[in-house]
Amino acid sequence: MTPYDVGLAALRAARYPEQAPALPPRSRGVIALLEQNCTVCMLCARECPDWCIEIDSHKETVPPRTEHGRPRVRHVLDRFAIDFALCMWCGICIEVCPFDALFWSPAFEHAATDATALVHEREQLRQWLRTVPPPPPLDPAAEPSAERVAARKQAG
Amino acid sequence: MTLADALGQELTTSYGVVVGEVDRTRWSEVAAVVRDQGYSFFDLLTAVDLEADGFEVLLRLWDPVRHEGVVLRTRCPRDDARVPTLTPLFAGAGWHERATAELFGVAFDGHDTARLLLPESFAGHPLRKEFVLAARVAKRWPGAKEPGESEADLATPSRRRPQPPGVPTGWGPP
Repeated sequence: MTPYDVGLAALRAARYPEQAPALPPRSRGVIALLEQNCTVCMLCARECPDWCIEIDSHKETVPPRTEHGRPRVRHVLDRFAIDFALCMWCGICIEVCPFDALFWSPAFEHAATDATALVHEREQLRQWLRTVPPPPPLDPAAEPSAERVAARKQAG
Repeated sequence: MTLADALGQELTTSYGVVVGEVDRTRWSEVAAVVRDQGYSFFDLLTAVDLEADGFEVLLRLWDPVRHEGVVLRTRCPRDDARVPTLTPLFAGAGWHERATAELFGVAFDGHDTARLLLPESFAGHPLRKEFVLAARVAKRWPGAKEPGESEADLATPSRRRPQPPGVPTGWGPP
């Protein structure tokens, strides 16, 4: 059974659209962007096999924080767009993102009658963030997360 | 009689697949022998573009009783890309040969391969290595920009830019 079949079965079982379907965990509906985490490293745009991520940015100089410090250069995101007409839902962009700025959302109701409307700009990608579910709990016998280990160590 | 005896040659095993190399003059003859050995189900026929080494045409046959398959391969040079047809042996090979003919430009002697997938006006053979993918030429690679750059910065040829992976040099605008 392909993921497509699973999704279709969920829609049928729920009498969609009257009822919302119970989608399986980790369903891939759309990609959401958390801009605060994006450092404009360009990794997602370079790894995307479909060339569907467009990123524009500019450099900004941050004045030194201390008296004898040096000014720093920072990259500021200007445009982040995903063309869902080209995207093939492989999720490579989400996997390569070193700063967890991209997330899978199970929201699937973004069909359009015009291909250009499938280009989701950063405002729209930010909106999808609200539909991203919390990460699933770890398995009972799993190793504790790195964050938890660090917090325990700090607490003594 | 084993398959190797029937073919008059040794078979090799590559990644768990039994493979027989066949001269193209004996292509349909060998396929008939293998079919009569029990490999009576025609699974698929396709080609591989080996560039300077020409084209490799592959055939996979399946034994529905013993549940095992065999792959037969033959080569043809680039300037004489033709192999004999298998349609008298397997009627189902017709579609595969038509698809291979239009996608790779390999002719099948004895089979009038009409177009199957592409429109009549289509020029070229899209699965040949030299076929330029329009989608990789018409659009600029979004990863060419460095962090902190936008569309306007691409106009300045300041330094060597990263190249899109998998796209041969010489395709599209420099």
